[in-house]
Amino acid sequence: MTSNRVRVLSLVVEDDPGVLERVASQIRRRGINIQSLTVGPVGGGRSRMTVTVDAGHAEVDQVAKQVDKLIEVIEVHDITDDPIVSRELVVARVDVPEHARETFLSRLSSFGGRVVDALNGSLVVEVSAAPDQVEGFLSLLRPYGLSELARSGPVAMRKSAYGSSHK
Amino acid sequence: MIEAKPQTNVMTGADIVLSSLEREGVEVIFGYPGGANLPIYQRLPEHPALRHVLVRHEQGAAHMADGYARATGKPGVVFATSGPGALNLVTGLATAFMDSVPMVAITGQVNTSVVGRDAFQESDVIGCTLPVTKHNYLVTRVEDLAPCIRKAFHLATTGRPGPVLVDVCKDVQQASGIFDYPDELTMPGYRPALEADLSAIGLVAGKLAEAERPVILVGHGVLLSGAEAELLELAEKTGIPVGTTLLGIGAFPTEHPLSLHMTGFMGTGWCLRAVQNADLLMMVGMRVDDRVTAKLDEWAPRAETFIHVDIDHSEMGKNVRPHIEVVADAKRALQALLPLAEPGPASRRTWLTQIEAWREEHPLRYRRSNGHLQPQDVLLEMYRRCRSEAIVVADVGQNQIWAALWWRYRRPGLFINSGGAGTMGFALPAALGAKVGRPDKAVWCVAGEGGFVMTAQEMSVAIEQNLDVKVVLLNNFSLGMVRQFQDDFYGGVRSHVDLRVMPDFMKLAEAYGWHSARVARAEDIGAAFDAAERTPGPFLIDFQIDPEANVYPIVPLGKGLDHFQEEPYDI
Ligand SMILES: Cc1ncc(C[n+]2csc(CCOP(=O)(O)OP(=O)(O)O)c2C)c(N)n1
Repeated sequence: MTSNRVRVLSLVVEDDPGVLERVASQIRRRGINIQSLTVGPVGGGRSRMTVTVDAGHAEVDQVAKQVDKLIEVIEVHDITDDPIVSRELVVARVDVPEHARETFLSRLSSFGGRVVDALNGSLVVEVSAAPDQVEGFLSLLRPYGLSELARSGPVAMRKSAYGSSHK
Repeated sequence: MIEAKPQTNVMTGADIVLSSLEREGVEVIFGYPGGANLPIYQRLPEHPALRHVLVRHEQGAAHMADGYARATGKPGVVFATSGPGALNLVTGLATAFMDSVPMVAITGQVNTSVVGRDAFQESDVIGCTLPVTKHNYLVTRVEDLAPCIRKAFHLATTGRPGPVLVDVCKDVQQASGIFDYPDELTMPGYRPALEADLSAIGLVAGKLAEAERPVILVGHGVLLSGAEAELLELAEKTGIPVGTTLLGIGAFPTEHPLSLHMTGFMGTGWCLRAVQNADLLMMVGMRVDDRVTAKLDEWAPRAETFIHVDIDHSEMGKNVRPHIEVVADAKRALQALLPLAEPGPASRRTWLTQIEAWREEHPLRYRRSNGHLQPQDVLLEMYRRCRSEAIVVADVGQNQIWAALWWRYRRPGLFINSGGAGTMGFALPAALGAKVGRPDKAVWCVAGEGGFVMTAQEMSVAIEQNLDVKVVLLNNFSLGMVRQFQDDFYGGVRSHVDLRVMPDFMKLAEAYGWHSARVARAEDIGAAFDAAERTPGPFLIDFQIDPEANVYPIVPLGKGLDHFQEEPYDI
């Protein structure tokens, strides 16, 4: 999924109402498409955002500086080219007939996935995987209908810690 | 008996707002009342240290605060009510934001219980002003009020200055709370480059000393940081010529032999030649926007070294990628550079001689022979009377560029205009705000008739507040700048630019209680200025100028600076 034009920004922000809008609006102003955005509190009144954008290196560099200028943004890093840990959560509904269930379940567990809900033939399954493995997981599901799908978008973190960013 | 110490610091939110302003040393507020800020207005008379200027439209308040801030260096303060009141500020906030002007706007918002429910006079002011403010706060709890106002002033005035809006719900203004104005602020995401990153200054000095054809270009940042003296000293010490952006006018004396005057797509011919032939360009306190570069890939083609000094890290490489970056306040950077600065190589003399030749080849000139009153004649006379001291505030359009190009000051001075946003209607209220802040200075307002009527209602404020502002109306009976663009770049189709149907400006002046004069011939210019200067109080001169007068030089839209066109008529 990582083409040359997809870059991943990792932000630490103050957990205030409106901060998501400020970040998104700063990126939108430059005409850049946000592919995915995840945000969650990390304690101490702060949240981490992982923003995947469809843009080139230079554009993202500029946008990162403009995002960094936002008062409530504490850190911004373009982590695309760094050693990172990146995970996406996928939740999907599939229809697996009784006879195929055993094979399905064993392939599911080979992806580290599991069944979280089952009602008649309809299963809700989940997997947390590196973004480039998600496609493989989805192709396992497709033959079974894949009637509903929800993806979290990647959350990411650099393998080693950073010093503070320039502001 | 021991009396209990009265708890004087328990007060209403309205008093907390006003006491916070007192703690910030605010002297004047430009504002307009309405339903959602009435609690504040009810308490305002109890705070006599705060002078309030009642405007006639909220846009006027924002521009007055803007003019006040630019003229004094102190943040301008604005009050408005919710909904339409706050929305009327938006243009003024955007104007201040584009030009990095410190301002704090305090708006009333509907009660917290109905926020987001389309209550009467509710609008999403935080959402609407988000892209045109440095930051904004919605205050829904009385205990957040003082900290938010404290932060607003801190943000507005530090780093790269800008407008900050604080939207205060009406019930918060009425609630009672403890007034405890914080000294310490926790803003972990805000670390403006106050401590200059001067690590590259030695490198800059070395490059400046080596360059054979260097040019320094400066913008509003030099004026905002008060670095005019350092700039002059640097130029003289190194012998490097200096050009300014439109917003940088006033940062360097135009009468100085090293002055290139104004750069950009309506800049002087000799400045544009210098920029296009320079081997080194140092840009200080400017954004290097499209009005400065014209066609970007044809800008400064011979420059081998770009040095960019700016307080805003995000300006580095936004438009032009510099070889050396100095993220610092202009004054600090120039102060650090001065002791290292040296006169350049001997070849520098050839460069200055060359620039002198360009200055003679491409002087500013204008048409004088067609019997019409020429705007340049008017402005030359005005600047003569300014004696390099008055504050000049220009509107937007041809009048603005003429006022900039014919600016004639022997020392740095104040030229105020809306450069980034180009907001018509800016000049009159901004001039009034400047006069409020600097009553010791003569204030001249230059405007076209189109822009002037956009905010002319503020003329009443001049009378009410006793503000002696002189208006030089350059009345060409049309939207002149648009007419010129239509003539030159849009096939000569004059579409909706005719402004012959306008009020009689002398009658308008009279209706507002102003004195006025009208001038249609060059020989009457002096007498009208005499009358304006002799008459105490606000005065308007309706100069009926050549309706076909144009701004030159000008670079055709989409072309590089080399293609500048000069006044085509014989002089
Ligand atoms: C609020 C606003 N609306 C429109 C414009 C576009 N505009 C730029 S210059 C100009 C003409 C201004 O005419 P006038 O005020 O008479 O001044 P002149 O150019 O004739 O000196 C216009 C319409 C603008 N800058 N601001």
